[in-house]
Amino acid sequence: MLKNYFKIAIAVLRRRKFFTFISLFGISFTLTILLVLTSFIDKVVGDSYPDRKRDRSLYVTRLQESGKDGQSSSTPSYYFLTHFVGSLKTPVKLGISTSFAGTNTYVNNKKLAVNYKYTNADYWDIMEYDFIEGKAFNKLQIDNADKVAVISEDMKSEYFGDIPSVIGKYIEADNVKYRVIGVVKNVPITSYNLYSDIYLPYTVSKNDYKKGRGYLGDFTAVMLASSTTDVPRMSDEYDAMMRRIPMESKEYNKMSSHAESYFRSYVNTGNDNMSGVTIVLIIITIFVLLVTVLPTLNLVNINITRIMERSSEIGVRKAFGASSGTLVYQFLVENIILTLLGGLIGVVLSFIAIQVINSFHLIPNLVLSINFTVLGIGLLVCFFFGLLSGVYPAWRMSKLNVVTALKAQ
Amino acid sequence: MMFKHLFKLIWNKKKQNFLLMTEMLFSFLVLFAVFTLLVYYYDNYKKPMGFEYQNVWVISYNNAYQTKNADSLNNYYGILRKSIKAMPEVRELSFCSFNTPFSNNMSQGRVTYHKKEFYHMNFYTADDSYQATMNMQVLEGRWFNKTDVVAKDKPIVINSDTKEQLFGKGTAVGQLIVNGDDKDKMMRVIGVVQSIKVKGDYAPAGLGLYQRADTGSLRWFGKIMVQVVPGVSAAFEGRLYKTMANYMKDSNIEIEHLTNKRTSINYFTLIPMIVLSIVGGFLVINVALGLFGVLWYNINQRRGEIGLRRAVGASGNAVSSQLIYESMILATLSLIVGSFFAVQFPLLNVFDLSAGIYISAMLLAIIFIYLLVFVCSLYPGRQAAAIYPAVALHEE
Repeated sequence: MLKNYFKIAIAVLRRRKFFTFISLFGISFTLTILLVLTSFIDKVVGDSYPDRKRDRSLYVTRLQESGKDGQSSSTPSYYFLTHFVGSLKTPVKLGISTSFAGTNTYVNNKKLAVNYKYTNADYWDIMEYDFIEGKAFNKLQIDNADKVAVISEDMKSEYFGDIPSVIGKYIEADNVKYRVIGVVKNVPITSYNLYSDIYLPYTVSKNDYKKGRGYLGDFTAVMLASSTTDVPRMSDEYDAMMRRIPMESKEYNKMSSHAESYFRSYVNTGNDNMSGVTIVLIIITIFVLLVTVLPTLNLVNINITRIMERSSEIGVRKAFGASSGTLVYQFLVENIILTLLGGLIGVVLSFIAIQVINSFHLIPNLVLSINFTVLGIGLLVCFFFGLLSGVYPAWRMSKLNVVTALKAQ
Repeated sequence: MMFKHLFKLIWNKKKQNFLLMTEMLFSFLVLFAVFTLLVYYYDNYKKPMGFEYQNVWVISYNNAYQTKNADSLNNYYGILRKSIKAMPEVRELSFCSFNTPFSNNMSQGRVTYHKKEFYHMNFYTADDSYQATMNMQVLEGRWFNKTDVVAKDKPIVINSDTKEQLFGKGTAVGQLIVNGDDKDKMMRVIGVVQSIKVKGDYAPAGLGLYQRADTGSLRWFGKIMVQVVPGVSAAFEGRLYKTMANYMKDSNIEIEHLTNKRTSINYFTLIPMIVLSIVGGFLVINVALGLFGVLWYNINQRRGEIGLRRAVGASGNAVSSQLIYESMILATLSLIVGSFFAVQFPLLNVFDLSAGIYISAMLLAIIFIYLLVFVCSLYPGRQAAAIYPAVALHEE
């Protein structure tokens, strides 16, 4: 039966080439837009390089203090993270690092903009950066305040040029010479909590982070639980800690900070009253509605036209006893075949679009790709499309009166 | 009379026309959104930048020299200023607050004038040479100078946007503005400068006022604006960098060019604009094709009716214009509904944009939809005109 429907569907598609083209155009382009969007989101928040232990990590990126005269919100300080967060029992490791900051270096009369980031030793145990050569700095080197650096692949080629190994060589940044001990695979800047060109031990920082006792500062932290089941406990312990610790000063009467999953921390707005997750979801929903509602309406219009054109065929089938259900089913199958065909073209178009976007290098090191998640979502969207745009026309068709349908001829 | 007849024709096919109209309505709303954004960006784009960024660099530093003694603080930065100014490639330099042009740093507050509150006022702090460094245009009054030290009320310079909001067409110089709502914090306007578009070409300048830097501000400053002569080399920049780094040993130094910063901040407005335009363009093509297809089919359906009209003496033109009128009426009906929704935006002041932007966007969207519908019904209309009554009626 299905095989028959398939044959009919193909025959119908070939009969009215212009309508087929309109339908396929709408489906495939909509799907392309959605696939590129999915692939972008998937890359930006779903890519787990270098923090592969994301499922058992929680991120601390914000601390908000408010009082009656206003509020301040920033990344927490080294003191806050080591003194309070460091005292928690559940995390087995506490990776601490500064947000990346910029400086310059001048090599061979050329200026290089360099982003640097200070980290502790646990940071390297939690993160699984791919080392092209060398290794990360350890606790001993940090305690000794050794001037050592882990650099990114891009930094290596920009600073040293095309040479095989740079371990043991010196890189000058911010007017200080550091010995290179490791080269890691690039991280795109969209992973802004982990991205940097040069990673340095926090003890070599020009700023003495250990001195201050303020709560707000330049650091973010990643807490690692021993297993995924410990993650909720870690979060609870963090919240309990937040309730316990004293206010930084009399100006403030409320303080809030959360240990959040990667995605939540990624879209954190720094304001507790405005959830980043909600905002992102609303924006995505509006965008998706925008790009799907119109093509769907268009498809419904075209489908009705197509069906009305086939009213004689429907009339004959009805006259010979086909039930409305059978006809609706047949039409839905036909429509899903059409959408899947459009989906196939859409996937090809997405491949092309993604290649084009990648070739523009809009965001360095952000290489979009279509993976199974993206494809699965695409397939689902197609199916949904096919059903949505087919149901109303099919319903109208099944209501068609046999006599009028046949008389139309 | 003719319109009444056309309405009747539309009403008779209301089921099919309803879907067409919904499609036109959604297209209008999408176009309205896209045009609002484009008009808004264009409106900002055509305003002047307010300063010359081409040869201006920003030096950032942190962990600056700390001392309780005001004299040695002044002395410390005085020497730095002299040694940078002494370089032949440097034209002018100025110490200023963190919220430099094309950066993400902001410092906003509230001012009161005549009991009316103005929120989102940008507070900039800069020294006497800032205006010269940035080549800012003074529209009224003057920029700061040494005589301002003894002023009774704190002297401020406001930007042209602030002047327009607070004083309209009147003079601003000499007026008193209250910082926050604290009556003791009176600020006297001594000059008006052309607003600087600090967030790039496509963003509004916003309200802004400049305060004069004093010794206290040097404690928290972290930026130096430097205007260099055109066409200086990277070697000079390296020298400037070394001078800074050797003098401020405990600081991290970064030199950025405003031209690059402008490009990257513009990126953040341009990319969403391009993406939206592409998506909008695709939707329009989609709708156009759909409309065309449906109209074309409708005409084939109505061959008999059209043939009859031709037979009783209607000219080809009359037939094709009747079809175009019909689709135009459909478009008008959906545009009326669409405009009802669109007009809520300026009425409820949803996104804090001026009504003019919404209205121009609405007009553009309306014109666009009419054009689209017209073009899409042109060919089917022509086809209808070419129907021979004899052939059409013979089929019946």
